[in-house]
Amino acid sequence: MIKLHHVTKEYRIGGEVFRALDNATLSIKKGEYVSILGPSGSGKSTLMHIMGLLDLPTQGTVIINGKNISSLTDNELSALRNIFVGFVFQQFNLINKLTNLENIVLPAMYARTPLSYNPRDYAMELLVRFGMKGKEFMTPNKISGGQQQRIAIARALIMNPPLILADEPTGNLDTKNGNAIMELLENLNTSSGVTVVVITHESDIASRTKRKIRITDGKIQT
Amino acid sequence: MNTLLFLIKTSLEDFRRNKIRTLLTSLGILIGISSVVLLMAMGLGLKRYISRQFESMGSNTIFIMPGQMTQTGPQGSFGGIQFDDKDVRTVKRVRHVLYTVPVYIKFSKISGDSDTKTFQIMATTSDFFSVTSIDAETGRLFNKSDEGKGAKVVVLGSKVAEDLFGSASRALGKSVTVEGSGYKIIGVAKSKGGGGSLNVPSVDERAYMPFKSSLSFNPNKKYFAIYVKADSSDTIGSVKTDIQDVLLKRYSSDDFSVAEQTEVLNSINSIFSILNTVLVAIAAISLIVGGVGIMNIMYVSVVERIREIGIRRAIGATKKDILYLFLTEAILLSTLGGILALLLSAVVVFFMQRLFPAYIDTATVALALGASSFVGIVFGVLPAKKAAQLSPIEAIRYE
Repeated sequence: MIKLHHVTKEYRIGGEVFRALDNATLSIKKGEYVSILGPSGSGKSTLMHIMGLLDLPTQGTVIINGKNISSLTDNELSALRNIFVGFVFQQFNLINKLTNLENIVLPAMYARTPLSYNPRDYAMELLVRFGMKGKEFMTPNKISGGQQQRIAIARALIMNPPLILADEPTGNLDTKNGNAIMELLENLNTSSGVTVVVITHESDIASRTKRKIRITDGKIQT
Repeated sequence: MNTLLFLIKTSLEDFRRNKIRTLLTSLGILIGISSVVLLMAMGLGLKRYISRQFESMGSNTIFIMPGQMTQTGPQGSFGGIQFDDKDVRTVKRVRHVLYTVPVYIKFSKISGDSDTKTFQIMATTSDFFSVTSIDAETGRLFNKSDEGKGAKVVVLGSKVAEDLFGSASRALGKSVTVEGSGYKIIGVAKSKGGGGSLNVPSVDERAYMPFKSSLSFNPNKKYFAIYVKADSSDTIGSVKTDIQDVLLKRYSSDDFSVAEQTEVLNSINSIFSILNTVLVAIAAISLIVGGVGIMNIMYVSVVERIREIGIRRAIGATKKDILYLFLTEAILLSTLGGILALLLSAVVVFFMQRLFPAYIDTATVALALGASSFVGIVFGVLPAKKAAQLSPIEAIRYE
């Protein structure tokens, strides 16, 4: 589903070139439950941004469903992000002036083709499934961190993407809530067959996944 | 459609959260649009007022006036020559002329029982009332017999009667003093509406007297203008050229103008459109200042919402989506100012109408709303572009 082939990503900070990702090659198959494990500054976030089409590599190729994305325009990349990836962030990244329901439905606002389902109904269904019924018209800043992360996961699912990219999804949560979120992600993988990639620096979190990819200093360890 | 509603809702929510900022930003546009609207209302009101005065002269009317009246306005008008009886007789002999009404005009103090005020004195013939379709509200208008005798009588405009005596009925039968002589009030003319207190008096703000009765203050028997009524609209063109021809035997072409009512109205229209354009252009400068205010606050808003921009980009928004998000907000912000300006202007015009014939028409409303949204687009596009160009990755990482 995703193939990275000799991907290098360099940033220019001041006059110096910083290599965040160094000749990374990896492949993730459909339905996998994978963790990307590495200490902070190891380049795991950069890897996630490239896998999530938020950033383009300096060198190397990224292939999504057999298609090289380097030829895609910015608009095409946006459209692909919309239907292919659901992001879950450490900071939840919800928009506080929108209600929880509006936050969940937001990706559907940017859908290029009409959806075969009503996103509002589907959002309500997700809210019920995640035990968040009754919170739909509240804003994210009125609910707890664990609840916010559930809203974020619901948002990631609203377009039914084949891939969920979760960047330190438990990083801002206590153990109990963290576990609940991980269970939720595992469930998505096992019951719905969604490919889940969890980026983390915690080996306990990583050990819950079926496959671990270690990264240090921008290099993937095999 | 759904997306547009959502964009508008999001912007309104932003405004609700930043009430004071929103109001202050709109204030700039409010001031700009209000000045444009009020100046237009004043120009338009004045134009309508003066046009109405000429329209009240009735159709098929030709004005013979001193000086030149061109399409761009009277130049050196009301100066130069003064007409006399010989001119009146000449004009009267022109074929198809129904009425020839010479008019002498003087602004003068009129004293009633206790009050003294300045009004326009119009010394003319009784035909003036026929040409302009003025009727008596109470009492009677002066007639040929009053004219022949040079009777010391006067017909007051409704406003004059009201100002000096309180009402038309109270004025009837009393006397007024004009230029040292007493005149008996034999009637009060019916109001034609369109009040105001400008240099151009309405028909209600005049006192009418027989020409002969004004000779005490017009010893040279001069006329300011001659109003001519043609017998039909078909002959008005030939009457006009014939009058021109006969008067040219006595005067040079620069000394006088012969104009149809429509020409006078056209002339008024063109003067006012120039005046209005200039005034509105000046007022538009304040709109630019308001626009810069919007641009400033939109830049602040972009910086405050960098993370939101990143989130939206991550979940699939294109650069264009982000551009529209901020552009909608800028347009709404300035249109809000435009709407508030219209409300404010409506209130000001409502009170102003007691002193000045200001008037807001639908074109002005459309222009105000159009101009305010245009300002929103022009001054919102740069901040919106900046937002759209942000890299999603940097935006989402922004603290």
